[in-house]
Amino acid sequence: MSKFLSRRPGRWRSAVALGAVAVLGLSGCSLNEGTGSSSGGDSGDGAVLRIGTTTDVSNFNPLQSLSKTDSWILNAMYPHLLRIDENAKKAPELAKEYRYEDGGRTAVFTLRDDFTWTDGKPVVAEDVKFSAETIMKYKLGNVAAKLTWVESIEAPDATTVKFRLSQPYAPFAEGVGFWMSIVPKHVFEKAGDLSKFPNDSNWVGAGPFVLETATKGQRYVMKRNDRYPLAPGGKPAVSQVEYRIYPDVNTMMLALRNGDIDLMGTPVPASATKTFDNDEKIKLQKVGALGFAHLTYNMNNKHLARQEVRQALSMSVDTKAVISSVLQGGGRQMAGPISPIFSDYDNTDLQPYPFDPAGAKAKLASAGFKDGNGDGLFDDLTFGVACDQSNANITRVVQLFRESAAKAGISLENQCVERNTFLSRTKSGEYDIDASQWGVFDNPMDQLRSTYLSSNPGGINYNLLKSEEMDKLITDAAATTDAAAFKDKIKNIDRVVHEQAYLTPLYVEDFQFAYNASRFTGFVASPSDLLGMVTAYSLAQVKPVG
Amino acid sequence: MEPRSREREVGTVSAPVLTEQTAPVVSAARPVWRDYLRQPSAWLSVTVLGLMVLLAVGAPLIAVEPGGTGPDVLQPPSGRHWFGTDDLGQDIFAQVVWGTRTSLVIGVAASLIALVLGTAIGLLSAYFRPVDAVGTVITDVMLALPTLPLMIMLAAVVNPSVWTLTVIIGVFAWPEVARLIRSQGLVVTAMPYIDGARVLGATAWRIVTREILPAVISLMVVSVLLTASRAVISEAGLSFLGLGDPDAWSWGRILLNAQRSGVVAIAWWQTLFPSLAILVLVLAATVAGMRFNDIRDPRRNGG
Repeated sequence: MSKFLSRRPGRWRSAVALGAVAVLGLSGCSLNEGTGSSSGGDSGDGAVLRIGTTTDVSNFNPLQSLSKTDSWILNAMYPHLLRIDENAKKAPELAKEYRYEDGGRTAVFTLRDDFTWTDGKPVVAEDVKFSAETIMKYKLGNVAAKLTWVESIEAPDATTVKFRLSQPYAPFAEGVGFWMSIVPKHVFEKAGDLSKFPNDSNWVGAGPFVLETATKGQRYVMKRNDRYPLAPGGKPAVSQVEYRIYPDVNTMMLALRNGDIDLMGTPVPASATKTFDNDEKIKLQKVGALGFAHLTYNMNNKHLARQEVRQALSMSVDTKAVISSVLQGGGRQMAGPISPIFSDYDNTDLQPYPFDPAGAKAKLASAGFKDGNGDGLFDDLTFGVACDQSNANITRVVQLFRESAAKAGISLENQCVERNTFLSRTKSGEYDIDASQWGVFDNPMDQLRSTYLSSNPGGINYNLLKSEEMDKLITDAAATTDAAAFKDKIKNIDRVVHEQAYLTPLYVEDFQFAYNASRFTGFVASPSDLLGMVTAYSLAQVKPVG
Repeated sequence: MEPRSREREVGTVSAPVLTEQTAPVVSAARPVWRDYLRQPSAWLSVTVLGLMVLLAVGAPLIAVEPGGTGPDVLQPPSGRHWFGTDDLGQDIFAQVVWGTRTSLVIGVAASLIALVLGTAIGLLSAYFRPVDAVGTVITDVMLALPTLPLMIMLAAVVNPSVWTLTVIIGVFAWPEVARLIRSQGLVVTAMPYIDGARVLGATAWRIVTREILPAVISLMVVSVLLTASRAVISEAGLSFLGLGDPDAWSWGRILLNAQRSGVVAIAWWQTLFPSLAILVLVLAATVAGMRFNDIRDPRRNGG
């Protein structure tokens, strides 16, 4: 016993000493960083832009499906043919232009000739051909589904790429152009099996910034590419971009206020924008969304397979109240599945289902549902609402939906679970109602195909819908080359989905990004939280202040 | 039940050792409680625990169940909202009051699970040598397991509800109880009156339940209190990590809401009050347990 006692203080002392050393070491580091980067900011050309993100890079291979941080970092390194500009329209990036030939069966991209890989080789049509063929060969990521119709790819000269399609598909060039990363053929072809290629060192890129070092859990340092034609003057004004990991958004906001970072890559939660109210250095930039939040009904549930039930559910969620409280007014209502951001395709004749729990209750009663025990809830009408615990807004919505649905006699069970559990349940169809948010749809046709085709090519047919009518409508629209007829067909599908109430759109969110305007300016924000302020194009335009 | 059976035993066979050993346990029960409550820290903590129970039981009378949205978003504490409001305009005081229910239910139920399992395994280990070998190994393994990650894993796999959480926390909390009970049980098992009972032909079941168990009851009271306070912390932790019951208000969930909606820096009231509630409950349970432990400690009582 006495032995223990005598040994213990010693151990404690050394532990405390260790702790103290660690703390000193850490603070020493952060002090160094602070002085280093602020002096960098003053000297102009040497400015380091520090961006906060919540997660690590999980995969450095740009050809595979990507998480948010992955795509931010990799999109800055590997060019795309097209980008999405401030107005949600496609704009040229590596491709100067594209056109269809042969009645829509050949898509031709003309590339710029001034993009260069950081090892000195030019970016050529062969690189594009190689990237697309690799994706098709290994069926990589979500781009593989967009290349379904490709029969062959040709690169007749260094700046021309031709995709020959098995059938005309109107949004082919837009979808592939925006989503597909172009990788250097001369580097990637040596890697062997590209579905297993980690690409985690010696990076060669052609974007404005290329990774130099990656320290998991801490930071990702990217160096400027001195030959980036889309930057003013041919090279970005910022010499280095550094992504820092802050798993908690509260900490990230404090880091921005303290000057530890210059930009939050993730949007500021609507409830937290007050944090920056009295801080004149910090500016908030508002951008629209390319996706939307929704409640999607599993058609394999025998009650949810009935149109009246889905309509009643749509009438028991108060989307207006959700927008004004959860989003603090920062969002728009939607009626059908096509977001108003696609103004050409959004069917404006549609009205959202009104919030009317009493009406919903009457509808269910006339559909034959009974409340035998008189508890105000219909018997057997119980659904689980699955959602991702880490999504602050959606969990709040589910909480409110549950309360308002009870007024309509529908009993809902809140099944908001940890993110990975949620994802695996979504994948295996273990839910009644799926409450989630779609991130980015770059065009309505691809969206409708991925969400409603019974073959489920995009893997996000969360309705698990198998409807011959919908299949027919979608395939018919997809093969339409006449622009006006194409728009009408999309609007018609918008109407059908709305009437059937396959889903209840909740809102299109306005995202707000916070940055330190006293240090950097010139961001060109694109819609959605995936693109936001950190697209390759935006980072190339950023200038240090002063 | 207990005294009568013992009297009968004492009466039918003369076993002076037995009488001497058991008499203080039975007859001293009342003065022990009186002594216990005479200590200011003890009665204070018991009062706090009592108030918490009242708060939990009477929650619907004290505050309306938080729900819906309100116009006063992120208001600091005021006469209208004692603990301020959250980002949906819900009253934090109401959330804390309703959260007391979940915390107490889980704390008590989980510690009962731990107590039943722990006492059973502890007593069996103390009395049956062959069981001891296995029991000790299992207890050691359980104590060495990284409990929190395992709880997180389990809670992520099952559907989160108050009951699954209770079971998970209870199942991971028994080893401490088992170890405590076993060590006390070993001391008791070695006492002459146990040998006496054995010689008289008492069955093992009878010896364990009638002779050893009463001698460790006070220790069980202590460990219920300590385990309950740990369970409350575990529940708050799991809820804060998003693994709690999403339909039941709990202190951890209030903290999670603050963290998730990014208002930790601007709405101190949303994190302070639930944290204080956790602190007060855990402190009260711990102090109550420690004081009780002091009281039953013979070295302190001169007995």
